[in-house]
Amino acid sequence: MRLKRRGLKLLALFLGLSLVAAACGDDESSSDDPAEDPGDLPDGAAGGDLVDIGTFVGDPPEHIDPALNSTLDAYQVINAVYDGLTDIDASDPENPEIVPLVAESVEPNDDASVWTFKIREGQAFSDGEEILPSTFQRSWERAADLAGDYSYLLTFIEGGAERLDEEAPADSISGIDADDEAMTLTVTMAEPYSNFDAVAGFQLFFPLPEAAVEAGEEWENGVMVGNGPYAMEAARTAEEIVLVKNDEWNGDFNQETWDDRLDTLTFRVSADPDTSYNSFEAGEGDIGQIPPARVSDAKETYGTTLDVDLLASYHFVINDRDPLIGGEENLLLRQAVSQAIDREEINEAVYNGSRATPTGITPPGIPGYEEGLCEFCAYDEAAAQASFDEWKEAGNTQTEPLPIQFNADAGHEPVVAIFIDNLAAIGIEAVAEPFPTETYFTQLAEGACTICRAGWQADYPTYDNFMFDLFHSTALDGNNYGFTNDEFDALVDEAKQTVDADEQAALFQDAERILLNDATMVIPINRYLGDYVYNEDKVANFPQTNFGLIIWEQVKLVA
Amino acid sequence: MPSYIFRRLLLIIPTVFLALSFLFFLFFALPGDPVNLIAGGADRTPNPIVLQQIEERYGFDDPLPVQFANYWQRTVTWDLGESYLNRQSVNDILGEKAVNSLRLAIWAIIIEVIVGIAVGLVSAIRRYSVADRMTTIVTAGASAVPVFVLGFILQYGFAVVPNLNDWPEWARLRTSRLGPDTWAFFFIPTGEQWRYLILPAITLASVSTALAARMTRGSMLEVLRADYMRTARAKGLKERQVVARHGLRNAMLPVITLIGIDFGTVIGAAVLTETVFSWPGLGSEIARSVVGRDLPVALGLTLAVVVAYSFINLLVDLSYAWFDPRIRLGGGEAS
Repeated sequence: MRLKRRGLKLLALFLGLSLVAAACGDDESSSDDPAEDPGDLPDGAAGGDLVDIGTFVGDPPEHIDPALNSTLDAYQVINAVYDGLTDIDASDPENPEIVPLVAESVEPNDDASVWTFKIREGQAFSDGEEILPSTFQRSWERAADLAGDYSYLLTFIEGGAERLDEEAPADSISGIDADDEAMTLTVTMAEPYSNFDAVAGFQLFFPLPEAAVEAGEEWENGVMVGNGPYAMEAARTAEEIVLVKNDEWNGDFNQETWDDRLDTLTFRVSADPDTSYNSFEAGEGDIGQIPPARVSDAKETYGTTLDVDLLASYHFVINDRDPLIGGEENLLLRQAVSQAIDREEINEAVYNGSRATPTGITPPGIPGYEEGLCEFCAYDEAAAQASFDEWKEAGNTQTEPLPIQFNADAGHEPVVAIFIDNLAAIGIEAVAEPFPTETYFTQLAEGACTICRAGWQADYPTYDNFMFDLFHSTALDGNNYGFTNDEFDALVDEAKQTVDADEQAALFQDAERILLNDATMVIPINRYLGDYVYNEDKVANFPQTNFGLIIWEQVKLVA
Repeated sequence: MPSYIFRRLLLIIPTVFLALSFLFFLFFALPGDPVNLIAGGADRTPNPIVLQQIEERYGFDDPLPVQFANYWQRTVTWDLGESYLNRQSVNDILGEKAVNSLRLAIWAIIIEVIVGIAVGLVSAIRRYSVADRMTTIVTAGASAVPVFVLGFILQYGFAVVPNLNDWPEWARLRTSRLGPDTWAFFFIPTGEQWRYLILPAITLASVSTALAARMTRGSMLEVLRADYMRTARAKGLKERQVVARHGLRNAMLPVITLIGIDFGTVIGAAVLTETVFSWPGLGSEIARSVVGRDLPVALGLTLAVVVAYSFINLLVDLSYAWFDPRIRLGGGEAS
């Protein structure tokens, strides 16, 4: 899981998980992963030292500051070092729940325009500094100043956009009211937002000690003091990040402190995925990442997280501004393309049947999910042919082959090859257009996308994490690669403000129908799986949630 | 001789100056704004106030010639600046990475010298023997196998297989990184360190060892036919002495040149080996800094490599005089 540099959340997935993609796994042989049933943890040793060589494969993380990071791999470290206002209880993967963590209670007002967080008394950072409501205000304003990739989340708060204003940033974020006496943090939304409790637990909103404000973007190069189950022992180096047990930790959302957790947790950076797996097999690390060719081997020999069905989508996005395929006049062509893709064939040939075939972009497990939203996501060659013929009869012709963009050498080649074959079968010409990973997402954002591969891992269990963050015109600039639709935007905006869960779900589903059916701007392919491998002789418990995060305090070594 | 060395040392100065100046301007010609990088990444739009502060702090608002002059002013006082990406001092990075590179390079060259010359010598003397033919095949193979493939195979054979089959501890090597132990006399591994060193050293040495062997063989064959060899034998010298003193010594000149160049190369350009074995050396760091437009790191580390290269070249030239007394260094004195 590594990402690269582009400000998209969890681009992480693109490399790491996509590697699994190219691999062949044995189907179904469900592993006896003890993590599946967290209520019954296996007995393991108390403490111990764990060496992880699977999280950082390639380059060391660019950022480990919660305000700057946008990758899943660095979030693994950040999540071990920091605790936020809320957390996600994903012990039931079908039904993840938002639970208070540093907050004692989280209450919205009736229309979800004002959120009140009551902060638990006596919480502190590992150096003893107390965590107060003002800690959050300070940290969020700092996040605005650093303008990390996720900083747009602050615009959900009243005054957030003003603080982020590049020309003349406001002195404070006016919507935050921190009352240290009453231990309450009152946050007024810019627009009513019924899922703010989920967002408030995300890394950008983590509390940071006073010193972080002064250190600014230098913070991540020193010892970042935090309030999580683990603490940094020394500043990060290009080779490793070492965490030690934080004895001052306040416990997880059940107030369980997991006192037997690991003594040290070392993340080592490996330069190359295949040799990293060699190192894992040679016993030099306890946790590794599965490279493309080794999936079935890993599944047979070791414990893996391949059975974790991540809340993550693998899809192709269409650029509405591209004359070859965008615009109203090419709707039939887009529908033909989507129906022409044999997702089962891709799943069988590339993933050995291990992945789930989606009926929409939003995966099951996200509240409001409904099966079968997409009318054009099922393989139907005849229908595709009919749509294509109709498009041609309307006077359209293909002036040049459709370029299919993807990041090279990340395991997507076979997927794109089948994609092109499928299109050729109904007479649509297409051609693969690989990009170097380093610049892929930058180039897409700059308009290189025609039909481009992308992926997304949920940050928190909300429908808008897919609809807003990926496709709304004001979200992450460049994430939508050319989809702007006023009707869609209006539905998403309305849904975000809707408090009633059913009503909200209906609105989001309508928005997704526009995306998939009325406009057909995205072609879902499948969902990602976990790709960690661990040595069962050494590691007794290695739980990965369907948000991709490892629950580090629950990791246990074999006694 | 001393004046020759002095002049050669002086020559290093313009060499370094030209090389780094070229690199400096090349960097500004490349796309990618360093100010944005310092503010946290190439693709973000940070606060313009932050950008402005950075511009002032690092002097990016100055015109390019002024920046260039400032750069050299700092560099001559051995202040190499700090990394744009993680703000680490380049002097520190250099100090840390250069020693690792040098250690690996030394061992690769030791392997190259011992194995390459010995094998080349044997196959020259026993021309067309089985050993000679084997050498030809193996050296051709070694030059043809890509470094990362060889590294991967070695890792698998000497670290993974022993671990999976529970071989005794002494038979196990490590796949990557540095060991926890230290070094004696700068380059002799102590404790467990040799287990980490041995595979990357062999991998790094493989191609150059093959070349050295072939060159020794070719050069030796030529020398063996020379008149002075016949004279030496006619003088009644033992074959051993003939080969060692008259043959090998004369055949060494081109091989020494090759090894000298190799030494310079393995210090700064062992990118693939360093990557496969996650060896924290200069090569991969330079590659990373170029990709990340980390100008101070790229310039600082290149500076070290250029200087090292120049010194090694000087040593190679000096050694010519020792191998072949007819060569006089320093021009003028010889008539």
